[in-house]
Amino acid sequence: MSIAPIGPIAIPAVPPVSTPAADAATSTAPGGFAAALDHGLGQLQQAQTKADNLAVQAATGDLTDVHDYMIASTEAGLATQLTAAVRNKAVDAFNEIMRMQA
Amino acid sequence: MALFGALGIAGTGLTVYRKWLDAVSDNLANVNDASATSGPAFQARYVLAQPVADSLGGGAQVAGTALGSATGRLVYEPDHPLADAEGMVRYPDIDMAGQMGQMIMAQRGYQANLAVVDRAHDAYSAALQLGRSA
Repeated sequence: MSIAPIGPIAIPAVPPVSTPAADAATSTAPGGFAAALDHGLGQLQQAQTKADNLAVQAATGDLTDVHDYMIASTEAGLATQLTAAVRNKAVDAFNEIMRMQA
Repeated sequence: MALFGALGIAGTGLTVYRKWLDAVSDNLANVNDASATSGPAFQARYVLAQPVADSLGGGAQVAGTALGSATGRLVYEPDHPLADAEGMVRYPDIDMAGQMGQMIMAQRGYQANLAVVDRAHDAYSAALQLGRSA
């Protein structure tokens, strides 16, 4: 008996989902990695400033939403960890390259 | 903040539920406010929430507050200082059982958003651990 060969299945193309965060993080503008790191540090600075302002409000009793301060400090902590991880990876990659010997 | 979106969105939800809880507690505090029949009774406050427009969903916000009925219920109390010529005093028409039900919903909504903040924080922290051992 002869079995007909299986034909290829056409998979419909999936449209790319672009999110603002992904676009900012993977920018291919000239100065690629430096620009991305700069942008990341700017966001980190914003997050820390926002958390500091809310901390002052909480201490003086002006804060109406307690959760606002906790969420801002959590975001600032996560952003700091993210920046530290990016720096560690970059330094590791650099050291890996420098370890190459002729 | 777009970087950790779920945290900010849950934060807006927490604000909405906090305001709902404030409105319910205000209604319950004023449930026995007597007023003369010439003016309105204390009107119950309802918080109107609506979504924040954003391409990926931006959370919720309080669009405004709506006030309940101003007629209230007329009670016969001729000895009350605010009673009119017929001895009627106006009390607010607030159903305490309904307000307690709303209070439970507001509290559970607040807890649900807190759970989202918790899980999102765990998820983002786990992502930051990627490649740590390499």
